[in-house]
Amino acid sequence: MSALQPVKKKPITHSQLVKYAGASGDFNPIHTVVPVAKEAGLPDVIAHGMLVMGMAGQALTTWFKPEQLKAFQVRFKKMTLPGEALTVKGFIKEETDENVLIGEVVVVNEKDEKKLSGTFHVQM
Amino acid sequence: MSAIQNKVGIETKPFTFTVERGKVREFASAIGDDNPIYQDVAFAKKQGYRDLPVPPTFATVIDMWGGASFEDLIAMLEVDPLKVLHGEQSYEYMSPIYAGDTITAQMKVVDQKEKGGLTLFTLETIYRNEKNENVLLARSVVIER
Repeated sequence: MSALQPVKKKPITHSQLVKYAGASGDFNPIHTVVPVAKEAGLPDVIAHGMLVMGMAGQALTTWFKPEQLKAFQVRFKKMTLPGEALTVKGFIKEETDENVLIGEVVVVNEKDEKKLSGTFHVQM
Repeated sequence: MSAIQNKVGIETKPFTFTVERGKVREFASAIGDDNPIYQDVAFAKKQGYRDLPVPPTFATVIDMWGGASFEDLIAMLEVDPLKVLHGEQSYEYMSPIYAGDTITAQMKVVDQKEKGGLTLFTLETIYRNEKNENVLLARSVVIER
């Protein structure tokens, strides 16, 4: 397993969630409207899972070229709240005979809590 | 016992979305991705791209702005919006998508199961370009808690 250079993100802000809602078109108020999040029993709004996957995607196209990416699969593990600063870590597990690298990606916060884990395939 | 109807086989109408440069820039910027290939057309062309490539998770923009918004999804699955979670997401990339491309997509419920009091829906979306070639396949697992 060889590790790739981790990508460190700035803390997530409420404004970033508003911006991501507009950019992505996902206006589920649980991500942007605090009273709605509280009604759902949450301490604050929660980041869009797709924002966290987007950060993992940022790392993938920092490590490789976008057109090399053939598959990207993730499982969301834990909710992310504003104020959390996430880091994307990647590892190469193996290279197939067809020159495809198979890797793992994880997104963690400062306490090393896993927010997302996934796999990716890139064509070399 | 919940009386949730089986949604397998339900599909959206095909929807079409033209990938605008501004939307690519806005999306990359919202993620905090400052890679110039998503911002600067001249830079992207120098790298050999025909226009700005899209970030790996851009298909969510095609869905949400193109015709399968969060509200549409909630109505299709008949779930409580406050109890919905995104469990898993995967993409298979067949051909790169660039700004300027017009993509047609269709989303379908391909699986539904109950697990520990939760309902898990698997949705599959196929994205095609103007030549009707498949460019991307997406699968997501949506959980109602």
